[in-house]
Amino acid sequence: MSAARHHIVIGSGVAGSQAAETLRSRDPGSRVTMITLSNLPFYNRYDLPRVFRGERDWRHFLVHPPAFYTEQRIGLRRACQVASVDVRRRVVTLAHNEVVPFDTLLVASGGHSHLPAELTDYRHLMHGFGSFEEAVAVARALPEGGHVLMLGGDMIGLDLARTLIATGYRVTLVAGEQTFWPHEVEGDQRVRLLDSLRGVGIEVIDCLACGGVAALEQGASGLAARRVRMRDGREVHGDVVMPFFGLVPSVEFMVRAGVDIERGLLVNKALRTTDERIYAAGDVCQIWSDEEHRYRFYYGWKNVRAMGELAARNMTGADEAFHSAQDEHLEIGQDGTIRSPFWEYQ
Amino acid sequence: MNMPAKPVYLEEKLRQVQASGRLAFRSKTLPSWCPGCGYFSVVDGVTAALGELGIANEDAVVVSGIGCSSRFPFFVNSYGFHTLHGRALPVATGVKTANEALTVIAVGGDGDGFAIGGGHLPHAARRNVDITYLLLDNGIYGLTKGQTSPTSVTGFHTSTSPYDNTDRPVNPLLMMLAYGASWVAQGYAGRPDQLQRLIVEAVAHRGFAYLHILSPCVTFDKTARTYRNLDLAVHDLPADHDPSDPMAAMRQAMQSDPPALGLYYREQRPTLGDALDSLVEKAGGRLAGQAAGSAKLRAAR
Amino acid sequence: MNGTDIQVSICGSAGDGTIAAGEILRNVMAEIGYRVICFDVYPSEIRGFGKCIARLRISTQQAYSLKSRADVMVSLNDSHAIAHVGEVRDYGAVIYERSSIVDIPEGGHISAHLAPGHLPYPVPFREVSEKATGANRSRNIVALGFLAGLYGLPMESFRRAIAAKFGRKADAAEANVKAMQAGYEAGAACFKLDDVSFGPPAATLVPGGTVAMINGNAAVVRGCLEAGIANYFGYPITPATSIMEKLAAEMPKHGARLLQTEDEIAAISATIGAGFAGARAATATSGPGLALMSEMIGLGVIAEVPSVVFVSQRGGPSTGMPTKTEQSDLNIAVYGGHGDAPRIVIAPTNVEGCYRCAGKAFEMAEAYQTPVIVLLDLYLSNRYETVVFPTRPPFAPDMNRRPEKNALGPGYKRYALGGDSVSPRALPGEPDGMHVATGLEHNELGRPSDAGDMHSAMSRKRHEKLEAALRHPDFTTVKRFGDEGPVEVGLLAWGSTFGECLEAMFLAQAEGIRCAAMKVVMLWPFPTEAVTAYMADCGQVLVPELNYQGQFASLVQSQVARPVTRLARATGAPMQVAEILDEIRRLAGRTPGVRRAA
Repeated sequence: MSAARHHIVIGSGVAGSQAAETLRSRDPGSRVTMITLSNLPFYNRYDLPRVFRGERDWRHFLVHPPAFYTEQRIGLRRACQVASVDVRRRVVTLAHNEVVPFDTLLVASGGHSHLPAELTDYRHLMHGFGSFEEAVAVARALPEGGHVLMLGGDMIGLDLARTLIATGYRVTLVAGEQTFWPHEVEGDQRVRLLDSLRGVGIEVIDCLACGGVAALEQGASGLAARRVRMRDGREVHGDVVMPFFGLVPSVEFMVRAGVDIERGLLVNKALRTTDERIYAAGDVCQIWSDEEHRYRFYYGWKNVRAMGELAARNMTGADEAFHSAQDEHLEIGQDGTIRSPFWEYQ
Repeated sequence: MNMPAKPVYLEEKLRQVQASGRLAFRSKTLPSWCPGCGYFSVVDGVTAALGELGIANEDAVVVSGIGCSSRFPFFVNSYGFHTLHGRALPVATGVKTANEALTVIAVGGDGDGFAIGGGHLPHAARRNVDITYLLLDNGIYGLTKGQTSPTSVTGFHTSTSPYDNTDRPVNPLLMMLAYGASWVAQGYAGRPDQLQRLIVEAVAHRGFAYLHILSPCVTFDKTARTYRNLDLAVHDLPADHDPSDPMAAMRQAMQSDPPALGLYYREQRPTLGDALDSLVEKAGGRLAGQAAGSAKLRAAR
Repeated sequence: MNGTDIQVSICGSAGDGTIAAGEILRNVMAEIGYRVICFDVYPSEIRGFGKCIARLRISTQQAYSLKSRADVMVSLNDSHAIAHVGEVRDYGAVIYERSSIVDIPEGGHISAHLAPGHLPYPVPFREVSEKATGANRSRNIVALGFLAGLYGLPMESFRRAIAAKFGRKADAAEANVKAMQAGYEAGAACFKLDDVSFGPPAATLVPGGTVAMINGNAAVVRGCLEAGIANYFGYPITPATSIMEKLAAEMPKHGARLLQTEDEIAAISATIGAGFAGARAATATSGPGLALMSEMIGLGVIAEVPSVVFVSQRGGPSTGMPTKTEQSDLNIAVYGGHGDAPRIVIAPTNVEGCYRCAGKAFEMAEAYQTPVIVLLDLYLSNRYETVVFPTRPPFAPDMNRRPEKNALGPGYKRYALGGDSVSPRALPGEPDGMHVATGLEHNELGRPSDAGDMHSAMSRKRHEKLEAALRHPDFTTVKRFGDEGPVEVGLLAWGSTFGECLEAMFLAQAEGIRCAAMKVVMLWPFPTEAVTAYMADCGQVLVPELNYQGQFASLVQSQVARPVTRLARATGAPMQVAEILDEIRRLAGRTPGVRRAA
């Protein structure tokens, strides 16, 4: 490989893609490589609910056309899983045993959906919503006007639920503690929020009242495809079951890298990890907060994009601090609908 | 005693032939060879042999290469193919393979057979193509007026070896024995009766018959293989020579120069045609009248 | 092209089963009812790790060449496939081994080379094969299964094709069916992201024929057998060898005889010997062999003996590039030889043409008593196409002109002058037809003659008799395609390159360029009249061919006084459709646009 400086970005989501573009423009002579598990170039995950409106061509979800990456000289390593990062040798080893050297590394691998331990046995009876492929798969499994059983519910799931209702589907939310993740809501506010969800047409079963999910079953012949039994004996039937319990940072490949990790990668306000050549941005990192005296997550499209931009600047000579780019409050509007900055994106 | 007292002139030769009753196989074309050429004896031998064996004129094909001896087909009243220098054997193989009913005689000289065509000899021999190969060896290129050939003796002077022929001559009999010819003999133009017997036997042999014929070039060789020298040198194989013993045949072929006259080796084994027929049987095919060519053609008339 | 038109490239090294996977796929697709064109690239090494590529174009409508872009690539060996992944179009698929066993440097995995528009399908071929069969040997079949599952091709047909291929080895057949099944399930379970899709195959091709998936050399063999070949003599040489191999298996079943000779000289000698004896005989070779045969072909000309010589051209001169294609033996085929030695030279342009030319060559050799050279090339010899064969052989079993009985006897003129210059020929075995065929110039009786007027008369005879071949019954010497009447650009081509010319012509027409293409099947005698008339219609004449000199263009210009534009390429690979199209645009005065996928 050439002697040009090699920036590697792990992840091709909002943070990673923003970082790659910034790296390219600030360091034109360098190599920039994005490594992603995704089979597709960067697409807008916030747009995925559109698959329920019949949009199934992934090309319509792309943020940039494929030629963009060629023109920008941004290497795009799709369908590649990172197995480990060796800080001392400065190489990334991919799961297929390819060893890729780097000069600076940005970890922007985001998060993957969390599944509570009591539900892991039922994984095969549920549909995820983490990628374009999963989104299309659930859309295909859902008959017209079909019924979605949503377990947990987080802001991603609730966003989807709004679209499903608007598109003529039926949604039953089995609400739990993560229903408004990542917002932290108090008891009273939670009740009001659940009511406002009912107001937009979502059927809500409050798990805190029914004791939680006892079991998932394949629906019997002649009935709907899925059946969820509650601990109190109640049953709900639906066509698909979708779990939404928030995200956990995707950091498995960093565990032996020698940088500090709590739940996410710990970074200072400049988004630098404990290794000076390694940065982190997006849902994968916890940033030191002087105000709160702790490392904390910042969510939302605007924050994530700002982190990608900032990390790339600091990787190319700047030394600037992160400031939250959006307000993080969940609001209930006058008309009973809910507003979250989490849902705001361009 | 076999050396003619004086050159036998063509008219006389023709008269002799007519008197012998072999006219059926003599063509009307008179040989273009020099008076006294040993090849006359060979034409005589062939025409006599074909007549004696009762072969119809139209069922015989004489195939030759290029050289004095290769003019041969023009002097036999049969089908003939006067081909390229060195290629008589593969062409003859093609003719025989196409129609097993034909009697195929390949004729060529020492240059034709052992120089330019040398690559074909082993293969015709080992395949045991059912043809007769008459190698007319005069030890010189006569048609082009006297250049060295692969059977020219060492030290021989010709227009291409004015100081000396430094090469050693090939041993044709030994080679053909080693190549696996199933019938190997040597005759001499100066002993026409013996030669004729050998030709009859060669044509009658089922398989590849190699008959080496020592034949002086009266025009371009006045010193080496003259009738006089050959008459003194040739001798018959010992009376107790066993032609079924290949080792004995090879020993004889290595013993003297020129080696003895007579039948060195003879064996019966399947011919190329037999082998090809066996493939048809193995493949479950029906023999498609390869051998019926002649009869078919006659019926078609 | 409407309907399905998909090109699949399978790329690996020798020993990966690349060509075998391609073979199974093409047979299945042909059986289902698609039209298929395939061309495999082999390494020149016999064993080891040379590159193999099987390329298949699968379509519902007749296609004439491979496309320059692939829709799907399967990599069985990244080190070879990496160089070719760029030929996959945007939104096409790349299917590859997910993981390397050992550490590899950056760029060693094909995923590093995918264009952003390619869709990646990493598949654990090795793992799936081991799980299904206990060995990793069936990775190629797993890959094939994955492809079939991904695109929903009928598993049952693959099962049959595998059983047929490994028929004698029951263990191998069973293991490969398991591997196929496992790969199929993985493919069917995989989310298809590319936009490649196999529509329904054509309902029926042509009624009243038999459909076969066959390559050029096999088509030659079929033509030989249907024309009643009696004798074949040959010496192995790439890329003609498979003609001999197939004939060796087939001819004995028909009671016919084949002999492997000691060299090409013996091969043509025996062929002409058999022809002299009246048999339909042929040999096959490549350029170096044709060079060795040239003297004997001269004998065939002067002695007026029928023979058929198939020549599959490869890159030359000398040993050159034996596993690469080229059309550079036109000169030696048409002119190669000493003296004035006219012969018939025909060149099929596709696989079906190989069959027709093969059969017709025997007719012509007999009818005009001459050597007939059939020029193929490696691209045509090894290219597979679905061909509809007529149910009854369209070849006359005997076109010999035999003498009347009263012409026979001592005065039989084997080389009688006059008439159409074809003199009745007696065959050995025929009473009273005795004569000598000779390489010496001769008189009408066949006796040697070097008289000036005789040589002149005989030379004229040997040239003039071939003119009739231009009107040989049921044989296409030239054919025009595309726009009728005056055109801006007219393509003039021969041999395998004509397929690319047709594809380029269609694209040019679609861009509004008035365009035509003529294929010249009979190269000698040259169809001067037809070509002259065609060229009169053409504003510009473009002659694409696969050799450095433009040998065909030179031949055309020697016969028609009219300049042509040469597009002569010697790369060892077939001509690119896009390159021909660019040249058409240039000649038509259009700005060469962005090269589009053909």
